Amino acid sequence: MSRPRLIDLSVNGTPRTVRASSEQTLLEVLRDELHLTGPKRGCNQGVCGACTVLIDNQPVRSCLSLAVLTENRPITTVEGLAKGKSLTPLQQSIIDCGAVQCGFCTGGLLMVAHALLADNPHPTSDEVRSALSGNLCRCSGYAKIVEAVCRANEGSLP
Amino acid sequence: MDLFLPQTIEEAVGLLVQHEGARCISGGATLVAMMNAGLVEPTALVSLRQIPGLAGIAREADGSVRIGAMTRHVDTATSAFFRDGQRVVPHAAGRIANRVVRNMGTMGGSISFADPAADYLAALTAAGATIDIASPGGKRTLPVAGFVTDWYTTALASEEIVTSIVVPTMPAGSIGHYEKLARVSGDFAIVSIAIIVKFEDGICTFLRVAVGGCGPAPLRLREAEILLEGSRLSPSLVAEAGRMLVAISDPVDDVRASGEYRRTVLPRLLAKALTQIQQAQHAEVA
Repeated sequence: MSRPRLIDLSVNGTPRTVRASSEQTLLEVLRDELHLTGPKRGCNQGVCGACTVLIDNQPVRSCLSLAVLTENRPITTVEGLAKGKSLTPLQQSIIDCGAVQCGFCTGGLLMVAHALLADNPHPTSDEVRSALSGNLCRCSGYAKIVEAVCRANEGSLP
Repeated sequence: MDLFLPQTIEEAVGLLVQHEGARCISGGATLVAMMNAGLVEPTALVSLRQIPGLAGIAREADGSVRIGAMTRHVDTATSAFFRDGQRVVPHAAGRIANRVVRNMGTMGGSISFADPAADYLAALTAAGATIDIASPGGKRTLPVAGFVTDWYTTALASEEIVTSIVVPTMPAGSIGHYEKLARVSGDFAIVSIAIIVKFEDGICTFLRVAVGGCGPAPLRLREAEILLEGSRLSPSLVAEAGRMLVAISDPVDDVRASGEYRRTVLPRLLAKALTQIQQAQHAEVA
């Protein structure tokens, strides 16, 4: 184990200086040091998707990212999506469609769906299924999740 | 554990020489997962992130395609530099895991781990790729066929680093296709087959086949390819080629499938892949 050192992260638009040792993953630092518990530790192997965050606006597994290698790159967690109490259309759609069961997978899948909608505001259900294929919902509530992502930008249909 | 961020490949090789038990880290998709599982405990990490020129794809004057070791799967999968049969490589890249993991993992990291169920090595074997390696003494180049020496073991010495992979030109009009049998979308392969094939008037005039997941390294058998070249790929000939590949296979029993299952599936997957390519060709002609 190396001695922890101070590293400079940029999380949800705010500079944060935290203690981290070189083997610590971004997921550990987000949860244990910054108390951002939206990213979940499921498999810790990059398979389940519950820990997904955005780095440089692209979804990545925080459990496979070493914290020290994410210094000074913009990181967004699920806590950074809403502006205050104002939810994004995607978050509202997840609620409206009843797409949350236990909620463990929701934080990670929101980040993947958020990135998908930024590129493709009105995806087909096949495109949503493909994008979310790396996010496991062990409640198996996929139908409502896919519906919610498809309908997220319904209000802004041309 | 120390983490180093060298600025040059020479500096990175020097760090591997100095620190016994050190590992290179590129995207982290393999190494950090192994560290999290307690399967590897590097004494130090050498991040290749800040070394310029290790990421990116370029088409050389002779038509070969050079893929930097730090090129992410997503960039390989979507690259327009691959032509004809070379497209087996981006086709395989697009079948790796899921979009999020493809944003992280790199070709150098994947092949250096040499997981027989991973996707690149079969595609690179079919394509006859070569691997450029930085060593303490300078550089060397290995054909992909000699790169994997045993289960999860490569010809890389502990102080060597893969710097790029070169995919040579393939015959004009050839097709690259990657077929993968997995339990679910995004899982590692039970069996995979990489094919480069060219048809002229319905006759197969060029064929390269490599099989993943059925031994420590991808299987390739020139005799099986010669059997099919010059033919119309009749089911009986394809079945015979499949049997020849099964004869040199060495699959394991693991959580995904038994060795017996893999031996049964291999010829069927070969037949399925070749049929799909032929049908796509007919559809194009029609």
